[in-house]
Order: sequence, then structure tokens, then C-alpha cells
Amino acid sequence: MESKRPPPSALVDSYVVPGDIILDLSEMTNQTIKIGAGLRQDCDTIQATSAGMLRLSKPNKYWVESSHKSYIPSVEDTVLGVVVDIKPDVGTLVYARVVKANSIMNPELSCMDAMGKSTEFTDLKGGYMFDTSTGLSRMLLSSPTCPVLEALGKKLSFEIAVGMNGRVWVNAPSPSNVILVSNAIIKSESLSAIQQKVMVENLLQRVS
Amino acid sequence: MVETGRADGRNPNQLRPFSCTRNPLNRAHGSARWSQGDTVVLAAVYGPKPGTRKGENPEKASIEVVWKPKTGQIGRQEKEYEMTLKRTLQNICLLTVHPNTTTSIVLQVVNDDGSVSFHHIIAPLQLTSFVSAAVAISCGVMENGAVILDTSKAEEQQQLKSFAHLVFPNSCKSVVGLKEPKQKDEQVERGLITSITHGVMSEDDYFNCIERGLAASSRISEFMRNTMQKDASEAA
Repeated sequence: MESKRPPPSALVDSYVVPGDIILDLSEMTNQTIKIGAGLRQDCDTIQATSAGMLRLSKPNKYWVESSHKSYIPSVEDTVLGVVVDIKPDVGTLVYARVVKANSIMNPELSCMDAMGKSTEFTDLKGGYMFDTSTGLSRMLLSSPTCPVLEALGKKLSFEIAVGMNGRVWVNAPSPSNVILVSNAIIKSESLSAIQQKVMVENLLQRVS
Repeated sequence: MVETGRADGRNPNQLRPFSCTRNPLNRAHGSARWSQGDTVVLAAVYGPKPGTRKGENPEKASIEVVWKPKTGQIGRQEKEYEMTLKRTLQNICLLTVHPNTTTSIVLQVVNDDGSVSFHHIIAPLQLTSFVSAAVAISCGVMENGAVILDTSKAEEQQQLKSFAHLVFPNSCKSVVGLKEPKQKDEQVERGLITSITHGVMSEDDYFNCIERGLAASSRISEFMRNTMQKDASEAA
């Protein structure tokens, strides 16, 4: 089809606030741009609707990376939910996948993946769940493993489930380990990689 | 000779030093503490939460504002502030992005030294995903006709003939502007979102206030953008 690539927006990888104009579409002909979270088309321009960093994934997908405490469901996200309507299991914590999500209806979750297998989508027994921001969840799920989890994993044994909705579940053989891991994760949100490692080392020294 | 001797020695166009603390409250989805001189206000945002209250249009997001004064009971003045804020926000937010949700905003006046209307709403609202920001300035007209910005309580109560609280849209970055050379004063459309006046002022004075306010608002916009950027780059 068209061989000419659209020039990337000048604001890519910089901080944008709601109202900033990212792209002017009147300059482009016959080109497809995909817009993701935090962006909206307004006549001939693409504008940001959230505050965050503008990201571009070649060739033409744009989105705004931002971190909130309240989660907006989107399809194919894996989240931690609490059952509210199935009688015997009300109150169970479940690791599930978002199947349907739009602004009109309540989101629909499923414990099976697209193929029909339900290996990793189970209910989580024991342990402790806490709420953080969506940005921290993304950091915990990033690969390579984020520094705080790597540092904790070297000395302690624990299991962890991270939901894209900001919820994190931690389980470990002893309650003090659960508390240590949870606190380390909560504190690591605004720290750089090196600061995270140092913080974890300090915590572990104080305990052992 | 026109002398505008302001009590604290500021010149007419000078704003009081302002500062902002982001997310001082843990439980709120977003919060900010804004201080301008001695006026300090704390704001907290919760939402969007599913469901609208009775009587609100379910096809749009609804906004609920609670204003708490520093002392005294909640009376007519507070209800008026709540209503003005709600209307301003309804005009600057894209309400159709999240229909059938409620966003609650709670404002606590920590100290009132004039210009307590809207300055504080800006920062926490950036955190909710459907807001385009705005900036508020208050301007006053003195006895001798001079216009001053960012009025303090003493000025509002004693010296001014009349004053106005104005809300302007944020100044935005735009890719469009980078390509064409800008005309000297032209910016992406600036207009007036909200205007509340007290007292009597002439038309000329009013337009004068608006012009001065517009010029000063870009400074506050810059500050807000820098604050949020600092937060984001620390977390990244």
C-alpha cells in the first residue's frame, strides 16, 4: 500500500497534559494511525485526554502512559477481582482476565484464557492483597524483572500475583515475610532501580 | 500620579508565590495542596466511580463537589462555590468518555487569605483521565481604576471597588504551532471559562482584568506542567 511512513509526532516520549495536540491530521494523506489509551480524535487533530508520557510503537501506534489509582477496564488485561454475585464464593479473590469492557456496561471477567484453558486463572487462597496504582502494577509486570522483585526474590521465597487494576496479592510461608514483601513493593513506586535495590537490602538487613 | 501601593508591597501584576504538593492524601485517588501566599486549599478527587446519582444524566459522567470552609457551618456561600465549580468542571471535562460514573471532589479550605475560589482544583484533576485543565486568577479594580492581580483578603474587603475571579483554559503544547510561524500574540484559542464578579466595574476595567489575567495564567500553567512532569520522571 502506501510506502511513505507518517512522521512521528514531535511530542513522543515527552510529558503531555490533557488538551495537548499530538498530531495534525490535515497534513497527512492516506495514512493509518492507531490511537490507544489517553488519546482522542477531535476533528483534524489528535489530542491527549490524560496526563502522562506519550509513547509511540512503530510504525503508527500512539498512547499515553499514565498511572492512576482508579483502573479503567480494558480487554485482555489480567486483573485481581473479588467475587460479588456467585453465592457460595462471595468474597473470594480471583485472578481473571477481562473479556468485555466498555464505558456503558459492567466489565465481564473470565477465568479461562482465549484458548479455553484455565491453568493460571484461579482463586487465590491465603496471603494478603493490597491496592496500589496502575503504574506500579505495570512496573512489577515488566520484563526483565523489576529490580525490587529481583532483589527480594534472591533472599526470600514468596509468591505474587499482580493485577493490571492496581491490586497485588502476596503469599509467603511466614507472615513477617508477607509484610516485608508488601511494604517493599509499596515503597518502590517512585524509586529508581538502584534505589530499589538499596532499599530492599536495608530492609533485609534489619530483619535477618 | 497613579500610585497603586499594595499592602504587601507587590506591584500590580505580581502574583503571590505559589506552591503545590501532589498526592498528600493516600486514600484519595488524587489529591493536591495548593498555596498562594497565605491562602491554602486542599483538594481530593475520588473517581470515576460506577453509577450516577438520581436525577443526573446517565449518558454523561456526573461531577459532585463538596466545599468545606475553614470554620463555621456550610452555608449559602459554600453552596455557591460548589455550584460554580461544578459548572466550570462540566464545561472543561469530556463527560461522554465515561458515561454513568460519578466523580467526587472534596475541597477543604485550610487558610483563606483572599482569592479562594478555584486555584486549587487544577492539580488533582489532572489525575483523573477526562479533564482538560484550567487556570484561575482573580483580578481586582482599585479605587483609582488600576487593576491588580491575585487579590488578598485585606484587599478584597477594604481597598477594592470591585474584583473578579476568572478561569482561563490551560495553555497547551501543540504540534501544529511548530510547523507554522506564529503571529506575534497568537496562541491556541484562549477564551474565558468562568467569570464571577463582585462589585461594580466598567466594561473597560473588566476587559483590562481579562487581559492581565490571561497573561498571568500562562505562568501558572507552566508551573503546573513542570510539577507534574517532575513527578512523572521521578517515578519512571
